Amino acid sequence: MDSENVIEMLHITKEFPGIIANDDITLQLRRGEIHALLGENGAGKSTLMSVLFGLYQPEKGVIKKNGQVVQINDPNDATALGIGMVHQHFKLIEVFTVLDNIILGAETTKAGFLQKKEARAKVEALSERYGLKVDLDAKVEDITVGMQQRVEILKMLYRDNEILIFDEPTAVLTPQEIDELMATMKEFAKEGKSILFISHKLNEIMAVSDRVTVLRKGKYIGTVDTKDTDKQSLSDMMVGRSVQLEVHKEPAQPGEAVLSLRDFCVPSRAHKRNAVDHVSFDVRAGEILCIAGIDGNGQTELVYGLTGLEKSSGGTATLCGEDISHASIRHRGKNMSHIPEDRHKHGLVLDFTLEQNLVLQRYQEKRFQTKGFINRGAVREYANQLIAQYDVRSGQGPVTAARSMSGGNQQKAIIARELDREKPLIVAVQPTRGLDVGAIEYIHSQLVAERDKGRAVLLVSLELDEVMNLSDRILVMYEGEIVGEFDPKQTDVQELGLYMAGAKRAQEKGGRPA
Amino acid sequence: MKEKWSHLMKKDGAKTVAASVISILIGLLVGCIIVIITGLTSGNMDGASVWDGVRLVLGGILSTGRDASGSLTFGFNPTNVGNMLFRATPLILTGLSVAVAFKTGLFNIGAPGQYLIGTAATLITALSIPTSAVPSPIVWLLAFLAGVLAGALWGAIPGLVKALLNINEVLACIMTNWIAANLVTWIFDNSVWRNLEEYGKTNYIYKTSHNGVETARAGLEALFPGSQVNWGFGIAVVIAILVYVFMTKTTMGYELMACGSNRHAARYAGVSDRRNIVLSMAIAGALSGAAAALYYLSGNTEFYWQTYQSLPATGFNGIPVALLAASNPIGVIFTGCFMSMLNIVGQQLTSLTAFNEYITDVIIATIVYLSAFSLVIKLWLSGRKKHKAQPPAVPAASAADGKTEKGGEDA
Repeated sequence: MDSENVIEMLHITKEFPGIIANDDITLQLRRGEIHALLGENGAGKSTLMSVLFGLYQPEKGVIKKNGQVVQINDPNDATALGIGMVHQHFKLIEVFTVLDNIILGAETTKAGFLQKKEARAKVEALSERYGLKVDLDAKVEDITVGMQQRVEILKMLYRDNEILIFDEPTAVLTPQEIDELMATMKEFAKEGKSILFISHKLNEIMAVSDRVTVLRKGKYIGTVDTKDTDKQSLSDMMVGRSVQLEVHKEPAQPGEAVLSLRDFCVPSRAHKRNAVDHVSFDVRAGEILCIAGIDGNGQTELVYGLTGLEKSSGGTATLCGEDISHASIRHRGKNMSHIPEDRHKHGLVLDFTLEQNLVLQRYQEKRFQTKGFINRGAVREYANQLIAQYDVRSGQGPVTAARSMSGGNQQKAIIARELDREKPLIVAVQPTRGLDVGAIEYIHSQLVAERDKGRAVLLVSLELDEVMNLSDRILVMYEGEIVGEFDPKQTDVQELGLYMAGAKRAQEKGGRPA
Repeated sequence: MKEKWSHLMKKDGAKTVAASVISILIGLLVGCIIVIITGLTSGNMDGASVWDGVRLVLGGILSTGRDASGSLTFGFNPTNVGNMLFRATPLILTGLSVAVAFKTGLFNIGAPGQYLIGTAATLITALSIPTSAVPSPIVWLLAFLAGVLAGALWGAIPGLVKALLNINEVLACIMTNWIAANLVTWIFDNSVWRNLEEYGKTNYIYKTSHNGVETARAGLEALFPGSQVNWGFGIAVVIAILVYVFMTKTTMGYELMACGSNRHAARYAGVSDRRNIVLSMAIAGALSGAAAALYYLSGNTEFYWQTYQSLPATGFNGIPVALLAASNPIGVIFTGCFMSMLNIVGQQLTSLTAFNEYITDVIIATIVYLSAFSLVIKLWLSGRKKHKAQPPAVPAASAADGKTEKGGEDA
């Protein structure tokens, strides 16, 4: 066996009812390399990692470590083999301190008593060595997302893991933090640790990885050396056809303001200040206005206050000439489509079927009910129409359980439902979160098409690529306030990053220095 | 055949049914074991009486007594079956009450209280409108509606408390249960409806037949001679079907289920989650009220009114009925009948053997315990497949065998 491969997953096949999630996939991770795993949603990346982590047992195939066949039955086995993972959604206990989180599950004890001093020394040494700055005594709930990620990385290092899996690690970071993370990853690789980097952000893969393995629809497409490839050919491999990476759109033709916010405030659930603090802006027909910012700066609350999920505490919101600041959710829905941030919490009833979810916003319309009885035939017909029109893929068509669908197709279902309502304002919150290039291309083109039909699009996004690509106008939100307005043609990612991090703002209001 | 079976077992519904059947079988098995242990350890019973006990536990519903030689006989026993249907009637309805709440994400442990309030409203209406002035079917209908309405109101209270103050419905239900118990005792204390005519009986309310009000039996007494069955059973079945239609075919049912499965998504879609919590609890209460109404309107049941120290078991037994049926309204009809069948089995054990009816309480308790585990059993049913498929996967790793064992995937 080739001894430079530290982990080999050979001919892994994993089936679920109705779908082969992994079909004869082979992945070989060399010592000291950064290996990117690239694939669309539903391509089988997560399944493959779950197999490696012992969460699923493959029907066929073996896993080898240093040439030896190993059986990984549960995550404890994986940890024992030195495999560590930074999950996309961090697995931290919010009310514990950073140190407690790091040592949890791997505590050093003497006669049953915790030996925190030794642990602290070890963590401090690691943190020093890799420049992973953390405040060991802060509670996780009080630290930034970037620091939480560093905590997760320290967790792996503390356990002496030598195979590090990063699952979409950059989604929540600012451009500056992403650069730091990349540098850290390279440092690890230099020391002989092996890194599996799951991503679909081609820029980052090109910047940091040594080799790339591409999966598509559960199948192994190939492994290439990063230096021999480019973004375009990687995305073509991933999607299986030629993809447009840039959004092609005509200059916007903005019309009247569809939505006007004036001194709009929304209270925070976490603290006493307003999460959205006296925000004023207009969204005009035929433009895509983007709210950029780092997660947790009031974007979520702004959308909640606007759509009625949360009560606003001041100011006005005027939609199509009508003050909606105190209207019911359903009333607001008459002129507004809402692609929610959290598709599992708000977007879908996961226990319902796809067709039931597709009429979630309009089951009470005359077309779908007669005297309170749901018109099954009409629902089925409408669902089939949307499924065909928006290419929503699922195991059993309209009667598929929403829970069993892939994230990308769940999102497509929501997009189909919301866009088909044809409302003058579309509120889209991170519409492409966790999606792959193919799906992103599709959703972006749909949003541009809606704009060109004269609809107003309010886009909230954490992805700067998306912000730069899609928007006609950019507002940066920081700590509940709008700190700057930009024209995407006249700004760049670096400048936005500074505003997002609070280092700069357009008009100083005597605010505190960052 | 085997292939068909494994195909069927892949379906979620089939797994649910299988999980319930397994709970029931284990419950019966435990019952048999207890019969055997008590039989063999007590001096006055021998192997034959233990065998009698086991046979009755498993087939008591078909027991027809003992023949001349003293051995048990089995066959169709119309009295037993009729009584089973009669006792199933309130259980089906309280089962529906719990099931509807479950489907909408609520735990209605308040069925006993709703049942008691329904009982009081039904009895008062049925006994205080003179049938000399109003035709008895009208009085019956009014009494039934009074029970349903009272139950609905009582159920709405925990619903309101949860919707407005966000207080857990389980807590509110437990409190309203005991409020109901004391309230009902207080209402009947010194009331004119106490049965003072039949001496030797204390603390009972008149049967509704005292006022000439009882559920029609048309034809059923001929079908099931000697039993208490009446058309209340038919009404319960119709209500179960209506509930099924309501939950699955109407926009209101859709809203309720959406709220139950994902309150946030329902709110997002403009559904008023608060209104639906109240509505759901009111419907659950109405069903428990209907259970009480049908039971006491039969005309041959008596209500022990001094109930402040105890809550009616029929209310609580709605929980296992709903759990065993996985909250499916149609399934509740069958699980309700099953639970009342166990009741009959207990009766047979008491009258025909030295065992007593408490054996069946143990069986019911075991099933209740296991029905709470039906999800675990379901997972186990799914997991078994996975583990079976797993061992060949390891040696087959040479990758040489490619795709030859395609058929083995659903083993």
